[in-house]
Amino acid sequence: MNVVEINNLSKVYQRNKALDKLSLTIKTNTITGVIGRNGAGKTTLLKLIAGYLKESTGEINVFSKRPFNNLIVSSQSVFIDDNMYFPESLTLEELLIEGERFYENWDKAFAKALFDYFSFDPRAIHDHLSKGRQSTFNMIFGLSTRAPLTIFDEPTTGMDVSVRKDFYRVLLKDYLAYPRTILLSSHHLDEIEHLLENVLLIDQGRHLLHLPIDDLKEYAVGMTGEKTKVEELIQGKQIIYKENTDSNMMFVVMKRNIDPQVLKQVGISVKPIRPSDLCVYLTKDSKGGIDDALKYE
Amino acid sequence: MLDMDGTKPIYIQVAEWLENEILNGQFNENEKVHSQYTLADMFNINPATAAKGLNKLHDDCVLYNKRGLGKFVSEGAKEIILEKRKNETLKGLIQDVVIEANQLGVDENELLLMMKESLEAFKEDEK
Repeated sequence: MNVVEINNLSKVYQRNKALDKLSLTIKTNTITGVIGRNGAGKTTLLKLIAGYLKESTGEINVFSKRPFNNLIVSSQSVFIDDNMYFPESLTLEELLIEGERFYENWDKAFAKALFDYFSFDPRAIHDHLSKGRQSTFNMIFGLSTRAPLTIFDEPTTGMDVSVRKDFYRVLLKDYLAYPRTILLSSHHLDEIEHLLENVLLIDQGRHLLHLPIDDLKEYAVGMTGEKTKVEELIQGKQIIYKENTDSNMMFVVMKRNIDPQVLKQVGISVKPIRPSDLCVYLTKDSKGGIDDALKYE
Repeated sequence: MLDMDGTKPIYIQVAEWLENEILNGQFNENEKVHSQYTLADMFNINPATAAKGLNKLHDDCVLYNKRGLGKFVSEGAKEIILEKRKNETLKGLIQDVVIEANQLGVDENELLLMMKESLEAFKEDEK
């Protein structure tokens, strides 16, 4: 069963194409990491799924319904980001009461336990909290909804390391106890990869990869060796990334389809590429790195 | 317990951890092993990754399925694990040694001698 089904979806703002003919599906009760650079289209995609934005062209279905302005989709999903707007006239305690009124699966005891653990003042006003405290409250709100589709867009903005760790831990534990479909966007794949079942990598509004995290770990290898030898080896093969490390050495990243023993014998060293690094290589501009943009003598 | 930054896939590490538990006698033959959810909680990983580790051991015949009850340790699991490690891990390590020796120009006699010395040093330590 799929919670989200997207076909040829595009979203255009003025002249700017934020999403470009995206197609994908999200399976029920999985945790998917949505990864990409700034401006890749992550937030646009998540807001379209949550029904906050209207698609330009293409098809999007969430719980088999078009999400835009749909109350059923709204009641079954929650969208948490660092710009969440809560009415200023309500205290944090009152916001939790409103959450309980709207979300049918809301867990009051769970919300209270987290609220106390993170030492929130029930009479505080959301707008007066620091960025990190707002994110922490939003996280509590998002998890307490137990919404069948829970979307976190960069949820840890401003949180310190220990709160981030707590957040990821409680997310996993609550998911184990109450399975639901979770979408989690982040710049930091390293921090969240242990939580994920699948990774969706998007770049410039298109989807580059959508795979189980375990497959992503074994997707590519990095090879370093003498330039001539490496060039011979990669001839006719598709390369993800290539760099001259010095005048006669070369580093390339490519899909894992060569026997590492063979490479070792010709003196090319092989190392696995971590998923976070792979995402960086896959989304790199063809312009070269920061070193090429600035010329120091 | 698991090496998250390591190069070894997490599900392989979960499978190896369970194998070690079986070798150490923490789980005996025909005893139920942890579920994917218990493993996910223990190691702070996604349950699908934990399931993949369990399935690998099932494919290797170290575990068997009881429908609706979970996974259990096969009879002869210890022997299967030891045999597998000999054939995969140890052979791979030896192959690496041979390649390295070849690159350094260490010949057969010298390599065997080094192996012997290492073995003897190990026996000394054992005493």
